Amino acid sequence: MEILEYARPRSTDEAFRLIREQHGTAIGGAAWLRTNTKTLALGVDLAGLGLEYVREAGDHIEIGAMTTYRELETSRPLKARFGALFEATVGHVVGIQLRNIITVGGTVAGRYGFSDLNTTLCALGARAVFHPGRAVDLADFIEKGAEGPFLLEKILLPASVRAAYQQMRISRNDFPILNTTSAWTGSGWRIAVGARPAAARLCREAMALLGNDPHPSDEKIVAAARAAARELQFGSDIRASAEYRRDILPVLIRRALTEVRG
Amino acid sequence: MNITLHINGKEQPVECRAGEMLTDVLRRSGYAEVKRGCDTGNCGACTVLVDGAPVLSCSYLAVRADGREITTIQGLAEEAKKFAEFLTAEGADQCGFCAPGFALTVLSMKEELSDPDEAEIRHYLAGNLCRCSGYEGQIRAIKKYLEAKHAQ
Amino acid sequence: MRNDHSPTPPSADTALEATGKFNVVAHDVPKVDGEGLVLGRPAYADDLAPSNALYVKLVRSPHAFARILSIDPVKALALPGVACVLTWKDCPRIPITRAGQGNPEPSPHDRFILDEYVRYVGDEVAVVAAESEAIAEKAAALVKVEYQVLKPVLDFEEALDNPVVIHPEPGIHEMFPIGFEPARNIAAAYRMEIGDVEKELAASPVRVETTIHTQAQQHVALEPHTAFSYIDLHGRLVIVTSTQNPWHTRRLLGLAFQMPLHRIRIVKPRIGGGFGGKQHIHVEPYVAMVTMKTGRPARLALTRREVFEATFTRHEMRVTVRLGANPDGMLRAIDMQVLSNTGAYGEHALTTFMVAGSKTLPLYNKAVAVRFGGHVVYTNKVSAGAFRGYGAIQGLTGLEAAMDELAHRLGVDPVELRRKNMLHEGETSEVFRIMGEGTEGIAMNIESCKLEECIARGKELIGWDPGHLVREVAPGKLRAKGMAIAMQGSGIPLIDMGSARIEFQDGGFFKLHVGATDLGTGSDTILAQIAAEELGVDMEDIVVHSSDTDHTPFDVGAYASSTTYVSGSAVLKAARSLKAKLIGAVADKFGVAPGDVIYKDKTFRTADGTQSLSLDDFSYDTLYHDGAKMKTIEVTESFTGDKSPPPYLAAFVEIELDVETGKVDVVHYVAVADVGTPINPNLAKIQIEGGLLQGIGLALYEDVRYSDTGHMLSHTMMTYPIPSREDVGRITVELVDSYEPSGPFGAKSAGEIGIDTPPSAIANAIRNAVGIRLTEYPFTPERVLAALKAAKAQ
Repeated sequence: MEILEYARPRSTDEAFRLIREQHGTAIGGAAWLRTNTKTLALGVDLAGLGLEYVREAGDHIEIGAMTTYRELETSRPLKARFGALFEATVGHVVGIQLRNIITVGGTVAGRYGFSDLNTTLCALGARAVFHPGRAVDLADFIEKGAEGPFLLEKILLPASVRAAYQQMRISRNDFPILNTTSAWTGSGWRIAVGARPAAARLCREAMALLGNDPHPSDEKIVAAARAAARELQFGSDIRASAEYRRDILPVLIRRALTEVRG
Repeated sequence: MNITLHINGKEQPVECRAGEMLTDVLRRSGYAEVKRGCDTGNCGACTVLVDGAPVLSCSYLAVRADGREITTIQGLAEEAKKFAEFLTAEGADQCGFCAPGFALTVLSMKEELSDPDEAEIRHYLAGNLCRCSGYEGQIRAIKKYLEAKHAQ
Repeated sequence: MRNDHSPTPPSADTALEATGKFNVVAHDVPKVDGEGLVLGRPAYADDLAPSNALYVKLVRSPHAFARILSIDPVKALALPGVACVLTWKDCPRIPITRAGQGNPEPSPHDRFILDEYVRYVGDEVAVVAAESEAIAEKAAALVKVEYQVLKPVLDFEEALDNPVVIHPEPGIHEMFPIGFEPARNIAAAYRMEIGDVEKELAASPVRVETTIHTQAQQHVALEPHTAFSYIDLHGRLVIVTSTQNPWHTRRLLGLAFQMPLHRIRIVKPRIGGGFGGKQHIHVEPYVAMVTMKTGRPARLALTRREVFEATFTRHEMRVTVRLGANPDGMLRAIDMQVLSNTGAYGEHALTTFMVAGSKTLPLYNKAVAVRFGGHVVYTNKVSAGAFRGYGAIQGLTGLEAAMDELAHRLGVDPVELRRKNMLHEGETSEVFRIMGEGTEGIAMNIESCKLEECIARGKELIGWDPGHLVREVAPGKLRAKGMAIAMQGSGIPLIDMGSARIEFQDGGFFKLHVGATDLGTGSDTILAQIAAEELGVDMEDIVVHSSDTDHTPFDVGAYASSTTYVSGSAVLKAARSLKAKLIGAVADKFGVAPGDVIYKDKTFRTADGTQSLSLDDFSYDTLYHDGAKMKTIEVTESFTGDKSPPPYLAAFVEIELDVETGKVDVVHYVAVADVGTPINPNLAKIQIEGGLLQGIGLALYEDVRYSDTGHMLSHTMMTYPIPSREDVGRITVELVDSYEPSGPFGAKSAGEIGIDTPPSAIANAIRNAVGIRLTEYPFTPERVLAALKAAKAQ
């Protein structure tokens, strides 16, 4: 990667101005730039803007955009609210040395198909907050992206959601073949599926099928899991075919739902 | 760009391009212990500590290290020698190419985890790949090293 | 009748089966270079390159098969800091092989350092050198190449007699008959038959046939291939390189550039793993070209992507095995037919293919008829080369699948079927005599084979119960066991040769110079152990220097599981000769017969106890004090084996199979091996542990994948996953007591035997779990689930 001009703004206001007015590109974790052959006219470094935090905020948890994966998996507030969910979600991402670099914001803004984290964030019903304070549904953003330049500041998570993550990989630290997170929000079910290999999507038909029953029967779970495999699009890549992804999705969703239901 | 790196307690002004990764700058500056293994953030051979946390220097922008404390295995040479005794006692050092990055992560784990079991050790070190040893000898060495540390 | 090649005569202490008698050998001595490596002291080629060296980058082919119409370097040369751009026109038109093998090589000379044709995506087109890596990269991208794109052959099943001929060029040739027929896309071919296989098969009441396809595999040594070169004070070309074979490298470069060998020096510094991947010339010719052109030092460290796309892989093979047996399980016939894919060039084509038979078929020496044959074909994929296991793993995977199928057919314990048919101590196999590596073989009686002990211990460790090889541990999760046995060799008899020189130094220590090439295996350490043991001194009294064509004696290099057995025997011979010389010199000084001098605890004494002299004192005497009698006491000895005693291994695996997703995990892998005396038990064990994991990677995760235009898709470690330390539950390796009379202190080899069994044992465990014989490697979750679905549909 070539970065022709590098800026280290002192505030999110300044960062956003550089992005909006000078076509700057936000630099998040910046991992994997080494093999990237692109040239950036202006790189805007978001480090040092105080965007590294995980904190309780009433019925929400706020996660700063520059929070690393490692901070997510070791965060006490997240562990207290979600148990081992975040460790399970990001714990397979290569190693802690990479997880000490890559950020929540970079992952969300990149809307990567292979992301594990975006799947869980979608299922939890997270919202993405763009500077200077516009909050949007994160699943919606992953699906459609944003219009025009943006600066992702933080993620808001509803604090009282129970969720479980399931995934398939060829080896433990490889990119996922498929991942899925199921969540009980207190009033309904949310199911997200990522690495299809396209980016995470909610399974709305499956979610509707489960309704607002916190203890769906095994049969209902199986039916919902099958519905999810029907409603989503799958693709083929080096790791697996679309057919395989479709085949195992009901299994992974069933396992995740069963785990949340207890 | 001109930046100042604090490497192993020493200040070192270096010149780098904005898009350059820390591995390349460190190797160019004579830190041969930082290895170039995979270029893609997978192998862990380039591990250094930045402000005490293990990171892949191949995936870390050099400019971002400006003003931060960088530690290579040479910066922890005394403790590294102690761990090396256990690693070589098991014959698990093998080709040694992954060893500086691996040993640095082990020393970091010792600081971060109080009494890790084998699964926790394997998980903490999963980002350090080794193609020679099959990992078993490394695990034997780490366990014995940690036991000896606890006994002290 | 022994000839000049006779191996080390057994020492006076041959009955040393109890390793307790050794002082240094059979001890877990730490590697001599370990601490320095852990601390990251500059040790590898890229650490040592001079700071004024030019950076070399290679322009590589974007096409699987093409003819270069023109190369325009003008734009690249215009870039400030660019020193040169070299193309095939700057290269003598001499066909060579890149395979580091004996002379003459059993590989065809079918390759030019740079050529007018490119035969796979990544093939070298031009060499660019510049003042910095960034400039070199930029310049390489500016070299304009015009290609005439040709239709490639990508599927090895379609290569034979394909109208597209990959090597139509004149001048390429075989060094001796290897079945080379480039017009038919055949790099090598071979067949042999003992007895009448068809007749025996026809007469066999029980027959099975299996066809197994093993994929190409990447070595993934953590250090990428790296070299730098410079012209020394005497105007000679020096290349410091990550090579497994310095002398072969020197000889091949001399041929390629038509240089007398005395003009070239090759130095191997520490290298970061090899596994066969550095048993070739890959980077050396290009730095050499730049240095010769510019007179400047030049350096080249491949990127990981280049290592994947443009060094070598394991040979992809299709192996068909037919077995004929009596109802009691006694084998009557084994037929193994192989198709091997050598990719664009024929490096190691014949030998890896022959080893598929020669190092597997002797395992079951009870069969009266044995046949082996097939072809090695060219395709427009990256070349295959040497890789730990070297054909044996591919052949064994076919053979052990067939053996397990036979056990299922007969309804017997697969362990018992193997015991009934396998090789035992004191026996031989005709295959040893007939099949060598590219040549005829050498008859060999097996003087050490503890397979029975390996199997018995392995069964204990895994808890083998043939009636209960599978159980359901959770709904849809099966735990199942499987097994396999394997053999390898210890060097190539009468071809591999190693030498050692030992020189007595003031201070009473010894310089040990060996041509042997430590890849990180610890061979410098074990060779020093052998010397220390024989010389009756401590490890610190031996200073090792290895792998420098100017300063150490000849050695073919580290491959074919040869270092401990071949180079180790040379060291033992040298130490033994030197000890005799030392005793002779001291006897002269004492004025007694050599037989009257006793050497023990680093001290010489006369038998009558009247005179004594320490090794330390004598070192000063012989170098400084003894006037006209002063002399350097040193010796050089060489060794080549007249046999290649196989190490053996029995493997037992427990897997967990998720029947709903097809995911297979190794829960526990048990391997019990007979490597003879382990010179350094820790290092021997780790060789096997590392080999096992690499074999598990081949079985479950690793695959070299291409697009339908021949572009490699798995060209980074993001797309080519190797096992991490979280992938496998547990690996247990044990060594059984064994003593090989022809080996140094009873040693055989341990470098390759570890990799051979995992693909077989895991396949057999899956067969035991779900009744399905998987035949396509690797066993990804998708492949396993597809097989389960197909079986269900039937």
